[in-house]
Amino acid sequence: MTNSFGEFKNAKLFFLIGTNMTEAHPVASYFVKQALNKGAKLIVVDPRNHALARKADIFAQVKVGTDVALLNGIMYTLLEENLYNKDFVEANCTNFEELRTAVMQYPPDKAAAISGVTEETIREMARMMASVKPGMLCYTLGLTEHTSGTNNVISVANLQMLLGNLGVESGGVNPLRGQNNVQGACDMGALPGTFSGYQSVTNPEIRAKFAQAWSVENLPEKPGLMMPDMMSGLITKDVRGFFIMGENLAGSEPNISHAEFELASAEFLVCCDIFMTETTRFAHVILPSASWAESEGTYTNSERRISRVRKIKEAPGLSKPGWWIIKEIAKRMGHDWGSNSAQEIWDNEISTLTPLVAGVKYARLKQDGLQWPCPTLDHPGTKFLHKGGKFTRGQGLFKGIDWTPPAEIEDKEFPFMLSTGRRLVHYHTRTQTARAGLDQMAPEETVDISPDDANTLGIADSEYVRVSSRRGSVKVKARITEEVPHGLVWMAFHFREGNANWLTNNAGDTTTKTPEYKACAVKIEKIK
Amino acid sequence: MSKNIFIDGKPITFEDGKTVLQVARENGLYIPTLCYHARTGPASMCRVCVVEVEGMRGLQTSCSLTPSDGMKIQTASQRVLDARKAVVNLLLANGNHDCLSCEVNGACELQDAAYHLGIETPAFFVKEYDERDASAAFIIRDPNKCILCGRCIVGCNGQVVNEVLEFGYRDSHTKVICDADLPMGLSTCVQCGECVQLCPVGAFIEKKAVGKARRWETHTVRTTCPYCGVGCQLELHVKGEQIVRVTGVEGAEPNQGHLCVKGRYGYDFIYSDDRIKTPLIREANGFREASWDEALDLVATKFQQIKQEYGPNALAGVSSARSINEDSYYMQRLFREVVGTNNIDHCARV
Amino acid sequence: MPIVTQEMIDRIIHKYPQKDSAALPIMQLIQAQNGEMLNREALRAVSKATNLSLNHIYGIATYYTMFNTKPVGKYHLQVDTCVPGFLHGADEIAAHLSQILRIAVGETTSDGLFTLSTVQDLASCATGPVIQVNDRYFENMTIAKVDQLVDALRKGHTPENDPSMTVYSECGILLNDRTQPDCRTLAFYKKNGGYRSLAKAKSMQPKDVINEVKEAQIRGRGGAGFPAGTKWSFLPKDDSRPVYLICNADEGEPGTFKDRQIMEFNPHLLIEGMAISAHAIDAAKAFIYIRGEFAWIAKILETAIEEARADGQLDHVDILVHRGAGSYVCGEETAQIESLEGKRGNPRPKPPFPANSGLYGCPTIVNNVETLASVPYIIQHGAQAFKKIGVPNNHGPKIFGVSGHVNQPGVFEYPLGTPLRTILEAAGDVKGKLKGVIVGGLSVPILTAEEADGLLLDFDSCQKAGTSLGSGGIIVINDTVSTPELALRTIEFYHHESCGQCVPCREGSRVIENKLRGIVKGRGKMEDIDLVIQLCRTIPGLSLCPTGEAFSAPILSMVTKFRSEFEALIH
Repeated sequence: MTNSFGEFKNAKLFFLIGTNMTEAHPVASYFVKQALNKGAKLIVVDPRNHALARKADIFAQVKVGTDVALLNGIMYTLLEENLYNKDFVEANCTNFEELRTAVMQYPPDKAAAISGVTEETIREMARMMASVKPGMLCYTLGLTEHTSGTNNVISVANLQMLLGNLGVESGGVNPLRGQNNVQGACDMGALPGTFSGYQSVTNPEIRAKFAQAWSVENLPEKPGLMMPDMMSGLITKDVRGFFIMGENLAGSEPNISHAEFELASAEFLVCCDIFMTETTRFAHVILPSASWAESEGTYTNSERRISRVRKIKEAPGLSKPGWWIIKEIAKRMGHDWGSNSAQEIWDNEISTLTPLVAGVKYARLKQDGLQWPCPTLDHPGTKFLHKGGKFTRGQGLFKGIDWTPPAEIEDKEFPFMLSTGRRLVHYHTRTQTARAGLDQMAPEETVDISPDDANTLGIADSEYVRVSSRRGSVKVKARITEEVPHGLVWMAFHFREGNANWLTNNAGDTTTKTPEYKACAVKIEKIK
Repeated sequence: MSKNIFIDGKPITFEDGKTVLQVARENGLYIPTLCYHARTGPASMCRVCVVEVEGMRGLQTSCSLTPSDGMKIQTASQRVLDARKAVVNLLLANGNHDCLSCEVNGACELQDAAYHLGIETPAFFVKEYDERDASAAFIIRDPNKCILCGRCIVGCNGQVVNEVLEFGYRDSHTKVICDADLPMGLSTCVQCGECVQLCPVGAFIEKKAVGKARRWETHTVRTTCPYCGVGCQLELHVKGEQIVRVTGVEGAEPNQGHLCVKGRYGYDFIYSDDRIKTPLIREANGFREASWDEALDLVATKFQQIKQEYGPNALAGVSSARSINEDSYYMQRLFREVVGTNNIDHCARV
Repeated sequence: MPIVTQEMIDRIIHKYPQKDSAALPIMQLIQAQNGEMLNREALRAVSKATNLSLNHIYGIATYYTMFNTKPVGKYHLQVDTCVPGFLHGADEIAAHLSQILRIAVGETTSDGLFTLSTVQDLASCATGPVIQVNDRYFENMTIAKVDQLVDALRKGHTPENDPSMTVYSECGILLNDRTQPDCRTLAFYKKNGGYRSLAKAKSMQPKDVINEVKEAQIRGRGGAGFPAGTKWSFLPKDDSRPVYLICNADEGEPGTFKDRQIMEFNPHLLIEGMAISAHAIDAAKAFIYIRGEFAWIAKILETAIEEARADGQLDHVDILVHRGAGSYVCGEETAQIESLEGKRGNPRPKPPFPANSGLYGCPTIVNNVETLASVPYIIQHGAQAFKKIGVPNNHGPKIFGVSGHVNQPGVFEYPLGTPLRTILEAAGDVKGKLKGVIVGGLSVPILTAEEADGLLLDFDSCQKAGTSLGSGGIIVINDTVSTPELALRTIEFYHHESCGQCVPCREGSRVIENKLRGIVKGRGKMEDIDLVIQLCRTIPGLSLCPTGEAFSAPILSMVTKFRSEFEALIH
């Protein structure tokens, strides 16, 4: 997030696209609703009429996978009606002409035809955003889990730059992170192309710095594989040894049958986890790790805030903290590392090698933690980025984006679009929530279907139906709800039985390889 | 020029924008309150925080009283104490405030007020008991302990804005209702537990905490929630190795005390019998338990062997977006430094 | 489901500056179309139509007594058994109904035709006993008339109401000649000089109108006696927010039934008064918040407003009649504002006062019906002429309602400062031997016969005598009445009407009722008397609104002045 949760309360407008905070980020949704009670405006762009959509001043019920067209239509209106922030664009951005050229291909009537949102609504959104500032734009996986994910993200950045809503308090482009420490895992360099703090592996000076700190001759310069390629590499034998730390890929990856085939093909699979999962079934070695509340450490949340996690109990049996396990493997491969606690790792290694968090030490993480960038020991941390329109790379770069449809769309055989996500009381594959009594509130998966479609298919509420895609088929209870429009069905991936990922498509975004969880074609059948 | 008020004759400097109650509290003076909470603000309903102000007719609620320079305030005059005693006695008379097994014993604001006023048993009784509502997954409601302070209602409608709780009915039949007066378990309540956190008495309690510990047996540890990317700050109330309850840290960034159902009630997976307790090695007919040395040696040997035979890029690792930063840092270090590949990623895209 | 279209709902919503205010009228509409009941299905419909959450709607539905969340019979017979009704024999009427319908109070006949309830105060004090049947009143009931009523209803007929009582006006300003069948019409009103005052006011600067009213020193007729002109002058100057005028027509203090006399028979007087006041304070939107039971009076007002609008009298202000739904506390101005905003009628903490932050957080003036109806005279004849009526510091005409043990109960318009004796004589004098009199509506201390002797009816004299003029609702009590029983009736009313917010009022009224009932039933203890006295001394000034004081003052006076009667019941 460029900005912080604490700024929600003073936002005058929210533009929420592909984010159902009420269920996926409940506490963030409280802040949105508090601002609404104080008079803030709300625009929601989503295929589903979810709880916040029902509170919106403008709700654009967009067709799945048409965000770029809609956003271009909004930007067309901003340009055509001269509503964009010229001062901001001229002072802080470059490549405006490319954006203009691209956007001008999407007059609102064309954007309307693609997105299913009326021309008038598209224009109203543009006018409201231009007149009510500052506006915070928030998104979640509804925008990124598409083959056009990267383009979607660039488009919302284009929009906020055009409005001058970047580098200001209570504005910004704010992706809400799904998992507690996704932000941290990225920050720490668990990415194929960057060391900690987004320091590129292709930069020789950076490599030299790390090589020296780690006492090795040199470090690999070629960016590595992204996870989907690692998985497919297991089949092609390009990847033979695979180490999975605390993830249940056999439940959370798209197209489960295929994912399981990939895992089963591994020559040597090591899983480090706290529970046996669908994934550990394929492991050759399973290493028991300490869980949350069993080790000291830090998490970094969506707003770049580094906070402490504390130990209140010993891990059961022989379980050990993850860092200890990794360190022991390194040791047995001939590398003896000095740090002996999470604090030593952070204070002596991470913060000394990572300018982004150079000012962060455990001693400073007492209360509310610190938000990066925090380059020096006396730096207070950074509430929002790009203050005064100063971007990391100098000027904000506009990029013209063209709309492309999802990889798979409805057809005669598979006439429904399936979109997926999370529900409030569960978390991912339920390894935790199922063991904390939350099944009481949601005991099984459902397929959410509109009253209209249920009626046409003769399906009653809570009736078991069969949902099938080109990749798989599940039996699941129907939940009839006005949240989903005609033609769309919606499922989550919390339960093994009826997991949406038996059906989802592993086609992914070309840049990030993020799979298109949000769109695939399915059919629904009554069970005779 | 600093401005002063005089509380019980003692001059106290105050800043504009604060109430008399806030000024008193900041100076370590106890004025009992029931309906006031820093997050829900002054409601002026319980009337237990009243004080006497020179030159003002009637007793004033200190929670809503704006100080002015030179204001003379009595917090413990006979009139004030009589009024407070009357209020507390009325509340005690009209409920079932039995502290013996109450989960909130020791952390109850009504109990504190009675203690400071020297009320040992209520002066009179008028009791009608209502049913406890244990229909919901994680929250028990006990209307007999409810003092109708309204904090839960402001919390539910104004803070988390889930719009489930409300005052229903009126006069002494007023009660806190869920939706159209449904049992909580049948209502639209999503069990965020805001009401539990704001309740000054034992009218909303955590089901999971019942019988686990007295309030004075637990200590608190601040930590970060293990679920979504908001990163809510939690206070774990711990007895021995057991988490008895979880509350949101008041005033903390980013959550300001709020939590959701997962953060507040989804903690006990760590105690599950399903936990993996030893390293496991696969054999033909399943997994067998192993020592750390054996398991780690096996991993290191296999990794070395693959690296030597097929090159470092034949190894790949996925770090955890659930685990701590230090683990992820070590994962990438392992692959980059020890294995010699950039094949390191994590599950960022789910 | 009720046949209520979205268009009907939108039309209601459209009348209000803010949508939430439409909650009560929409609920009234849906209840009327849904067999006089708001079951969960109907409440969901309201929630959907208004986009207000279900908990909020249910909170409203269970707060106001006129909403039924449980089924009621086709005819809901509601007998007013509050103090004036009780003095007029309402208990006998209720007992008789119970006997002939073969149901207890609170039950519905097996054929679903009748539900019998007792209710608290219908503002028909001189015409009691009164039975409200759905939204119609049947006044001056006797056992024989009850039989006729039930028979008629069984046959599907609705008999005529008999609202007769004594009406006399010494001043001729507020009460008009209601014997004329066209007394409510614009033509009648104008023929007698109506709307000339408005024309005059419109030719004046608003500040001059305010000054004239201020100069007249008219004290608010709702009960508190605060000077209306001074209240107006509290409005902030140079403020961009709209100003609202609310006419408080929630007449709910037992013993009080004066405002309905103006609204029902002389509606244009009130409308003219409001039109002048709106001009003075620059309000473009005004409301008449009328108690919900006065449904037919609301229609009379709406008709009159339509006439006045058509006649061009209201080109500067839009007046909307808004019906309450059964709540005494909504007579308190901040509770009334909450109610008008579509919420439960819970009083707000003050400050801020409504003049600064009232309806929708905007400057708001709330004045009583009788106060506003006095404004045309002040403008037409001038402050000096107004001040000639009455006694120093207590100027102008006042409507007194007399109920209870007098021979000819009714309404009487006299100058402030008129002796109580004069008014009791006008009401045909006391029936039997006078025990005590409550001169300002039920919320003021009772005066013994000796204390009442020689009393002048104005704000200051009453205060000197240890009571209050309040709303001028005079309840006369003879020596056949047991004071403990009277005290129990009194606390039953206030307990029932407590909004439930403040502990002293909510729990205090419950404890006092519980203890007084114990005493009346012979289960009392000596210390109960002292507990009641102690609570009545502690509660005043300890709640957000005056309701705590409204029961503490009369109960304390009854227990202390007639203590021996209470002690006599304790064994």
